[in-house]
Amino acid sequence: MGSAVEQAVQLIASGDRELLNILSVTARMSLSSSLIALLLGVPLGLLLGACRFPGRGLLLVLNRTLMGVPPVVCGLIFYILFSGVGPLRHLHLLFTVEIMILAQVVLITPLLTSHMETYAAQIAGPVRETAKGLGLSRWKTFLLLLNESRYPIFSGYLLGFSRAIAEVGAVSMVGGAIAWKTNVMTTAIMQYTNRGNFSLGIALGLILLVLSLGMNLALSLLQRKVAS
Amino acid sequence: MKKLLALVLALSTVLGLLAGCGAKENTAQPTTEDTANTETNDAPETTDDTAGTGTEETTDDSSAVVVDLTILKEADESMLNTYSMIAVNPEAPFTDADGNAVSDVTVNTAGADALMHWLLLPETLDLAANYGMEEYGNTLFYVLEDAPTYEGEIPAATDETKTIRLSTTTSVNDSGLLSYLLPQFEEAYGYTVEVQSAGTGKAIEAAKFGNADLILVHSKSQEEEFVNAGFARVIDGMETERVSFLYNYFVLCGPSADPAGVKDAATVLDAFAAIAEGKYPFISRGDGSGTHTKELSLWPAELGITEDPESFADYTDWYTSANAGMGACLVMAEEMGGYILTDKATFLTFVANNGVME
Amino acid sequence: MNLYAFAKSFGGQAAVTVPDLTLEAGTLYAVIGANGSGKSTFSRVIAGVLSPDGRRPVTEAGLRVGYLPQKSYGYRLSVLQNLLLASRDRDQAARLLEAVQLSHLAGKPAHRLSGGETARMALARLFMGQYDLVILDEPTASMDMESTMLTEQLTRQYVAETGCALLLVTHSLQQARRLADKALYFHKGQLLEQGPAKTVLYEPQHPETRQFLSFYGS
Repeated sequence: MGSAVEQAVQLIASGDRELLNILSVTARMSLSSSLIALLLGVPLGLLLGACRFPGRGLLLVLNRTLMGVPPVVCGLIFYILFSGVGPLRHLHLLFTVEIMILAQVVLITPLLTSHMETYAAQIAGPVRETAKGLGLSRWKTFLLLLNESRYPIFSGYLLGFSRAIAEVGAVSMVGGAIAWKTNVMTTAIMQYTNRGNFSLGIALGLILLVLSLGMNLALSLLQRKVAS
Repeated sequence: MKKLLALVLALSTVLGLLAGCGAKENTAQPTTEDTANTETNDAPETTDDTAGTGTEETTDDSSAVVVDLTILKEADESMLNTYSMIAVNPEAPFTDADGNAVSDVTVNTAGADALMHWLLLPETLDLAANYGMEEYGNTLFYVLEDAPTYEGEIPAATDETKTIRLSTTTSVNDSGLLSYLLPQFEEAYGYTVEVQSAGTGKAIEAAKFGNADLILVHSKSQEEEFVNAGFARVIDGMETERVSFLYNYFVLCGPSADPAGVKDAATVLDAFAAIAEGKYPFISRGDGSGTHTKELSLWPAELGITEDPESFADYTDWYTSANAGMGACLVMAEEMGGYILTDKATFLTFVANNGVME
Repeated sequence: MNLYAFAKSFGGQAAVTVPDLTLEAGTLYAVIGANGSGKSTFSRVIAGVLSPDGRRPVTEAGLRVGYLPQKSYGYRLSVLQNLLLASRDRDQAARLLEAVQLSHLAGKPAHRLSGGETARMALARLFMGQYDLVILDEPTASMDMESTMLTEQLTRQYVAETGCALLLVTHSLQQARRLADKALYFHKGQLLEQGPAKTVLYEPQHPETRQFLSFYGS
């Protein structure tokens, strides 16, 4: 293994305070944004996939369009909105973790919505007909649909989390990569790369991968337990 | 269980591949003494003589020359690199993205005052002037002889004034000066300084968007434009909006063999002319930074090189517009055996770290 | 109880047209007809999973309708939990599981059952509820002989006990003859003949029905 691995191990072993801060900001950001996106995307996706209502087609098109928005454009829009001269300046959210989470929610929710919609469309028929046949209420039917979607909810969360933790375009714009505050793994990697320190960038990248791996393993174990 | 194993296997493969990249990057940098075949350098060929030299933890052979890039031209009057601070005026003619006037922009004036005053304390200026001696054996910044100083009181932070947004250039940030000075300020008075770093152009733009309380940059023309547009204010005890206090020199670097004969040029302008004449590779920041602005002013006028990509379309065989940070450009120049204009502080840290930036 | 006349078409193509119908409580109706005759569409509209053209209601307001889809579905819950969806009566659930011979699988996830087991579970689950009108769409299609007998017995018993009207959609003339009090015959989307089982299933009036019987009746 190359020296990048050595450097990554050294970085972690040394318990570098700035690295720990970057890790904790990264975790806070990606865990929250993927969770919020999940809470929005799952019901929305199930609704779009399982129900027929006026405006559904339009919403689907809108969702697919939002899926294609480049993160940096999303970041730019938020930057302009929340800038010191922007219309939402009084909220004082620019360069905070909160707005990074918000921008990521906007990026990730369409992804999760689409993910859930595809799944719900497949299973909605039998789930709904059977529930209707038993005279179950709409709410109970929705809960059943949710319960049937355990597996895609887990994979959806992983999808959102992976996207959140790996995303750089939007968070660097709205977060500003401020040390000790809004600097996350990806923006730190970008900074090191810009400084020409590729090996430190790769070392951070390795840590990111390992984190992602750990998260994936933990969730697949949990998924096995819950989804069986 | 099988699935899990497959997952682990797949990921370790990815890790291995990435680690492989890392090693290659590392070995590629130091082996560029012979610049002719950098492109075709293979990891197996180069690992022997460079094993371990790529990272900074090998203290034993760190004396070995691993960076070929050397300073060829410096301390020329036209290469003066002056750093100035400017406090943002809350009454400035701010406009939003559509060009409509915006009046109630929040600017932490008290915080900006405190930070500027602190940076101008004689003790702080001393710290700045000596910065780098320990780590690099060379100071990175000089204090301007006519720099204003501040002797008054500095108020402690309050809830309203606590957070100070400083927009600065990558060169200041990458030199490590701010991470050396600011914690002392923060500890003494309870402020938190949020540093955003970008090229001077972007750093000033951030302030115009109402996202900074003060700026610390190094491009006189862009600074004056900022002041003239009404974005600046004069802080207590100063005479001008633009407070210049530190300087160092831009340096023209290139391969030690110096094929363009830059060393023997009478002036920096002649040196640039010689590079253009012989079409020797040159790496430009190309990102609207202070260094980029300075570089543009040093080319012979008849070439007509500006920040507009059209203007150097005919020179792309030797002129590379990188649109990247100083460190990344230095790595590029080192690998291509090209010439480059850089601030001295960044260059010294680059060399001290064997061709990488910390 | 009254069912109102309706038509249902798919993509402009009329699939089924039904006149006003009156169903009697405590009666088991066999709904027969060839594949594609519209009997399934008819049952799905009555069950409320398909809307008729014009979206007018086809049953009286407040009528409790139970429906067993052709393809039975086990929710990702245990077999017992599946049964408890319609009613919380655990004793009833135990009795029904016993009746469909699934007691030993009460704790098993329902989506892991075999096809025949799922069909029996679905029937027991439906019979947990109380309805005025019950529709079974080919309940024994995926069952072996023994389960079929079991199902038929349970169905009769349910009608007798609850006094509901029951529409049994089936392609098996034998089954219809075994169970039905009355019968509805569908042909090419039309309700061609209805009446007592003795008539419709043995001595039909309509030549089309007669032809059907001679084809399917052994």
